[in-house]
Amino acid sequence: MRAFVGADVYIHSEATSFVFVRNFKVKVTDALIAGEGPFRVALRFDGHGWLRMEALTHYETDEKGRLLLAGYDDRGRMNVALHLGKEPFPE
Amino acid sequence: MSKLEIAPVKKLLAVFAHPDDESFICGGTLAKYASEGVEITLVSATRGEMGRRMGNPPYLNRESMAAARELELKQACESLGIQHLHFFDIRDKTVEFIEEDILISRIEEFIRDLNPEVVLTFHEKLGGHPDHCAIGKATTAAFRRVAGNDKALYFITFGEEMKRPERFGYSRSDVFKIDVRAHLEAKLASFRAHRCQTEIDEWVWLPDHEALQRFGGHEYFLRGNTGAIARDLHDLFLSAPG
Repeated sequence: MRAFVGADVYIHSEATSFVFVRNFKVKVTDALIAGEGPFRVALRFDGHGWLRMEALTHYETDEKGRLLLAGYDDRGRMNVALHLGKEPFPE
Repeated sequence: MSKLEIAPVKKLLAVFAHPDDESFICGGTLAKYASEGVEITLVSATRGEMGRRMGNPPYLNRESMAAARELELKQACESLGIQHLHFFDIRDKTVEFIEEDILISRIEEFIRDLNPEVVLTFHEKLGGHPDHCAIGKATTAAFRRVAGNDKALYFITFGEEMKRPERFGYSRSDVFKIDVRAHLEAKLASFRAHRCQTEIDEWVWLPDHEALQRFGGHEYFLRGNTGAIARDLHDLFLSAPG
């Protein structure tokens, strides 16, 4: 996540059953992680912004250098997702 | 002129919202008509890329899901005998927010080009998921614009709910009941093709003879236009005149 601090970042964020936002672009100033699993993540952006998510259980960096965080339940169903990329995600 | 006449190929167009709608809801019927030589075209508005089931244990993420589900749908189409597959490339969960006129026009084009005898879609109120209702509404509008009364529109329905259509404001003469008992193996194969969606359902992966017992022997369709009125309630196609 540190690799995204100081950069313009495209974000996909969702609470799967309720809301998703895709490709909002922010300048990330801080990236914070807490917990011992599942994890809580907070981003500070644009000098006054907060994005906080919880229940994250998995992470991966894909072949395009995007950081994909997600929270699954014990049967593989997605509860939340938080993706960071330096290019827009496909619409 | 030769007196030999080759019967024209019958055609069916299905316009649904997500990969798996075709299998989970009416896979037996599609397999039945495919086996009888009907040429089937499926349009899926989305790739189901906003689905919640990511495999069990999970092996998909939001960005890899569209390609995975497209591939699964292609395999399901093979299992059922669906020959042609198209996508509208709409993001999952956003069908109701797409400009409706554009959507209707795109469906109209399919109906005009294919000239199918039968069109299947969702009922715009009884479809359940908002994407289902939206694609059903647009398909119904497109059908009414371009299809004559020699064509038939049907709404797919869930499980055995239309055994009692009165509960939904319909009568028995509005309900078509298709016997799919000879096509349950194909239906099961299509369920298994949609692996990331069905891994969570243990019964799908039981030995075939046990899994097959979970399927009903019939699938139910609601009449969508008056063109279907005089038809045999056990066949979606107008029987060829004797």
